[in-house]
Amino acid sequence: MSLILCRHEPVKHPYYIERLGIHIGSSQELCYILYHHPLLAMDGFIDDHLIRFIREELDMPFLAGKLDTWKRSSEDPDEMIFIILQECYYYTAKETMKLRQQIAAYRKMNQAEFTKETADYYFRLKQYGTAVHYYEKILDDWRIKSLSDELTAKIWNNIGASYAGIFWFEKAMSAFDMSYNFQKKPETLKKIYQLTLLNPELRIKDRYQSLISDENKKEWEQEFSLILEQAKKEEPVQKIEELFDKDPIRRMAGASEILTTWKKAYRKML
Amino acid sequence: MDGLVIGIDLCDTYTHIACSRPEQTWVIPTVVCKNKNQEEWYVDEEAYAHTLVGDGVMEDKLITQVLKDGTATINGIRYEGLYLLKMFLEKALELPKKAAETETIASLVIAISSFEVKLMDSLLYCADYLKIPRERVHIVSHTESFVYYVMSQKRDVWSNQVGMFDLTDESLRYYELRVQRMGRQMQVVADCQNLEEGFHLDVLENLAGAKLADKILCSCADRILQKRLFSAILLTGKGFENTDWAPEFMKQICSRRRVFVETSLFARGALMKALDYQQERSSYPFTCICEGRLKASVSIKILSRDKEKPLVLAEAGDNWYEAKSMVDFVVTGTPELEFTVSPLDPRKKKLVKIPLEGFPKRPDRTTKIQLSLGFSDEKTMVAVVRDLGFGELFPASDSVIKQEVML
Repeated sequence: MSLILCRHEPVKHPYYIERLGIHIGSSQELCYILYHHPLLAMDGFIDDHLIRFIREELDMPFLAGKLDTWKRSSEDPDEMIFIILQECYYYTAKETMKLRQQIAAYRKMNQAEFTKETADYYFRLKQYGTAVHYYEKILDDWRIKSLSDELTAKIWNNIGASYAGIFWFEKAMSAFDMSYNFQKKPETLKKIYQLTLLNPELRIKDRYQSLISDENKKEWEQEFSLILEQAKKEEPVQKIEELFDKDPIRRMAGASEILTTWKKAYRKML
Repeated sequence: MDGLVIGIDLCDTYTHIACSRPEQTWVIPTVVCKNKNQEEWYVDEEAYAHTLVGDGVMEDKLITQVLKDGTATINGIRYEGLYLLKMFLEKALELPKKAAETETIASLVIAISSFEVKLMDSLLYCADYLKIPRERVHIVSHTESFVYYVMSQKRDVWSNQVGMFDLTDESLRYYELRVQRMGRQMQVVADCQNLEEGFHLDVLENLAGAKLADKILCSCADRILQKRLFSAILLTGKGFENTDWAPEFMKQICSRRRVFVETSLFARGALMKALDYQQERSSYPFTCICEGRLKASVSIKILSRDKEKPLVLAEAGDNWYEAKSMVDFVVTGTPELEFTVSPLDPRKKKLVKIPLEGFPKRPDRTTKIQLSLGFSDEKTMVAVVRDLGFGELFPASDSVIKQEVML
């Protein structure tokens, strides 16, 4: 085994990464973010605010100066990622090279592919609001040009899933509806039907009534119930049940803490 | 830095205070006297005067009182040993302060005979009370003080082995040092042994007692020095203030050797060290291996610029009481710490592993730890490893591992 010696970094004000909803307080954390979130790093992440954080909080004026110069030179901005990684020695040269190849591969993609990759990345981060923004960008950009029906259906499907993720079921229903218009997949019908189970106020369009058999409905309802049953056994639910076993004072404190966490997580999704 | 540079030899019976400017040494009994009627404390002659007049109560054995949590009740008020020592040091330091007409202490080195953590902590507490910044206060063993005294002398004094007898009311001790050259690096290895033949200095008051004491010393010298080559023999301690009572012993040790008598040797040695702390570059470019100093180096493997290299956390010759370090690391690979303990004898080099048991399992390089290293004595290293997590990405847990490592 080995250890990486951490330099003293007198961070008083950690840097907030809005997209990820977290603060970072060390050069190692910064490197970790750059390495594990290359799409974020490539998306204007290394800006003047971050450079000021590097200079003043991480106390790395030399690195900040280098980044400033590079930024002004109008050279490839992706190179700034490697300037940081090379200066911090958190990743090995081999790992840095791997990231370089990954970023080069992203840059070789066409605009639509790259935007889709970015949107999927935010979807994986559960940042559904941002994901929808990028998915819609693909549709807007390609409205003029032609986009295959299959890809359009996929994008609408992802938009639907994103809206469902933030509990905006009406929007999700419209998106899945659009997806079905472009590609008639039974899987999309299932999603439309299960949305009505999540929100009973939603109504399935008449044109789908004939497409969904009673047998389908029964099967999807069973599947939905099973998922609900499994969810009850999940750790967060168990934690809430444990919380309600506690005395009222501790219960209130715990509930307030959970609500704050949920609110924070939800705001991050939007 | 302006201010007093002081070396103190703090013993249970007498305290020697040596000062460089003005060059002066004070020898006072380690006693403190409290005025019965008011909040006044005295040392030295004043202490005896007030005790004799009857308006003061005297307390002695201050070091023992601190070590054994002793207390003294004066006029119905109970004083802890530490408080008494604090008052003693405050008053004792007034002697050089008055002589130099300054209140500032630039460097203070205290030499003590028993290098115990409790006593050292107490002395630092006293320094805080006396408003002497901690970085200006250092505590050394008598052995180290002996080393600095000898090494401040001309080269021919320490070109071979140097022996020293220290005779006090409390003990008879023998110290020895030798200088070794390891390439460009000079190493001074010193040791001390408590001789069982120690006697109370009262026996010297009559002729028969003095003769017996002379014989005892002769036998010790014969046994210890044998026919070995010494560049100097030193005598110190109250017992050697006068050497007339030991003619045979003197004859024996003076044979083909140079003998020096310096009763305030430990205070002078401490002063040399205190003066050295004032220098930007040490005048004593050697590694000192003796009581109070580490006899092994401790390092840990780190990854630096893709290459593994050792990071020395404590070096042989460092004062173990002051050798404290706190370092943050990111763990990569197997979650464990691997220390390399390198004693002076390279054959005894060993690896000590501390697995990070109970720490949360996280992806590689996302566990930051804080390693605090200290020593509870010269043979025992105490490592405390704390989980710092990895920011908000992987929050810290309360996991802590504390482990003692025998050097």
